[in-house]
Amino acid sequence: MIKFFFMIVFLVSNNIFSILEIEILKGSDNLSKVAFVPFGVEGTVEESYGGQISKFIERNLLLFGEFENLDESDMLSYPSSENDFYYRDWKIQGVDYSLIGKVNSVNSLGNLNISYSLFNINRRIKILEGEIIGSENNLEGISKIISNRIYEEITGLKGIFNTKLAYVVNSDTETYQICISDIDGKNEQILFTSNAPIMSPDWAPDRKKIAYVSFENGLAEIFIQDLKSGQRDSIQALGMTNSAPVWSPDGKSLALVVSFSGNPDIFIYSLNNKKLTRLTNHYGIDTEPSWSPDSKKIIFTSDRSGSPQLYEINTKSKRKKRLTRDGNYNARGRYFPDGKSIFFVHGNDGNFQIATKKLSSRYIETLTSTSLDESPTISPNGNIIIYATKDGSNGYLGGITLDGKSRFSLPVKNGSVREPAWSPLLN
Amino acid sequence: MEPIGIFILAMICQVYSCAANVSDSVERMQYASVAGEEYLQEDKLDTNLDDKVFFEFDKSSLDAEDKNLLEQYLPFIKKAKIVRLEGHCDERGTREYNLALGERRALEVRDFLIVKGVSGKKIRVVSFGEEKPLKSASNENAWAENRRVEISLY
Repeated sequence: MIKFFFMIVFLVSNNIFSILEIEILKGSDNLSKVAFVPFGVEGTVEESYGGQISKFIERNLLLFGEFENLDESDMLSYPSSENDFYYRDWKIQGVDYSLIGKVNSVNSLGNLNISYSLFNINRRIKILEGEIIGSENNLEGISKIISNRIYEEITGLKGIFNTKLAYVVNSDTETYQICISDIDGKNEQILFTSNAPIMSPDWAPDRKKIAYVSFENGLAEIFIQDLKSGQRDSIQALGMTNSAPVWSPDGKSLALVVSFSGNPDIFIYSLNNKKLTRLTNHYGIDTEPSWSPDSKKIIFTSDRSGSPQLYEINTKSKRKKRLTRDGNYNARGRYFPDGKSIFFVHGNDGNFQIATKKLSSRYIETLTSTSLDESPTISPNGNIIIYATKDGSNGYLGGITLDGKSRFSLPVKNGSVREPAWSPLLN
Repeated sequence: MEPIGIFILAMICQVYSCAANVSDSVERMQYASVAGEEYLQEDKLDTNLDDKVFFEFDKSSLDAEDKNLLEQYLPFIKKAKIVRLEGHCDERGTREYNLALGERRALEVRDFLIVKGVSGKKIRVVSFGEEKPLKSASNENAWAENRRVEISLY
């Protein structure tokens, strides 16, 4: 009885903290269909592990609405080895890919050997085969690794199921929190709680630290927080208003905004010697810097033309180039992982929406259709954008795949959530 | 000396030592900061005047009505130790840009007061961008109220 009671408490509290959950709003008609066949178990392995692993993988692959599944109850057979696998059982159900697998016991300490195969039904070939050893206490972690491999094989893009999201939660007017969670919304961790605003989270490339802006001391101040130890260090050495920190791709510097004499300009701050190097010097507002993937350029927002527009500056030659001309509000630009396109907030007829633009073209493409969209962040494989938007007085996160196949939302259970920041891949 | 005093002193030293790292010449000005905010613990001076001026979207200029209001503040400011100017924006557009825009609005008020003879040393400027709206609704009325500089005297 007591055990039962604790179980309930655990479930309830877990529910409160896991605030993000992805809901697919619009899928496409021509998604690839995948059959996730329950894995077989052998020897002394707990019977349920086979089904758990295939379900975890299925949930990962369906997470962003990029695939559809064949329901387990509609499967004509449940093979766990190649010998029992018949293409016609899947072809007849319109399946494009089938995943099968087997769980074996390695030793009595709970270590498992999981082998799996992925078949392309239309081409009638096995396209992937793998084996992984892990603990029975980490079935979700093992499933993420297998999910990444499957995703890479099918799409040719890096798998992102090991990535995380940082975001700011504002549960009432006096409570601001910076949180991180797994990309599926699980394992939420509150990094810092304050009664003053928190802004602009950005991940260090090694995922060990997060930089953000906190007003806890009365004005905008940049902090770097170590995720393991929880230690927070202010870059207060800069003195006056600091904002918009973003890590350089090598993790050695931050691009940030410092406002001396009330004039915000872009600077590079070296984390080693704490030296500040000026990049822009203009009486207009210069803010929202972000690095190109090759570190050679920084994109930023400036109102030097009279309205906020995007510019890029070469960090060595300091040569500047204006990137946007259409519309009177183009701000907070970020480069795609390939460095060839940018995404940003585009103001159009009083609506603020997420847009993209190839650097080689003039044409701006709007991705979203709500009116108060901001803070877009891109998956490290360049395929998905998550952004902040608003419904009534509550902020929530929306998402879109760049092939246009899926739209989804990450509704919050309590309060308002904003400023998503997608972590880099684990190396 | 109290530990907090030592802390504040250390912070001031750091502020100045690092600002010296910047190669460009930098005009120092009084920002609201940890080191200078004890005044917030004291009571505000009561002026019976409107304590806000409002702005157009993505603009920081003062109109005749705003200037008229600020002029009425001048006799009170003579008696005040500190003039705190807090700049804010509506939720539209991006957060970091709005942080800069809120600062620009507060500075516009500061510059007007300085031209009218107020000492810059008395003035503390801080921007909260769009982070502290007065109204949380998403409509023209709420936005108009949120685009503001709040003036308080201590």
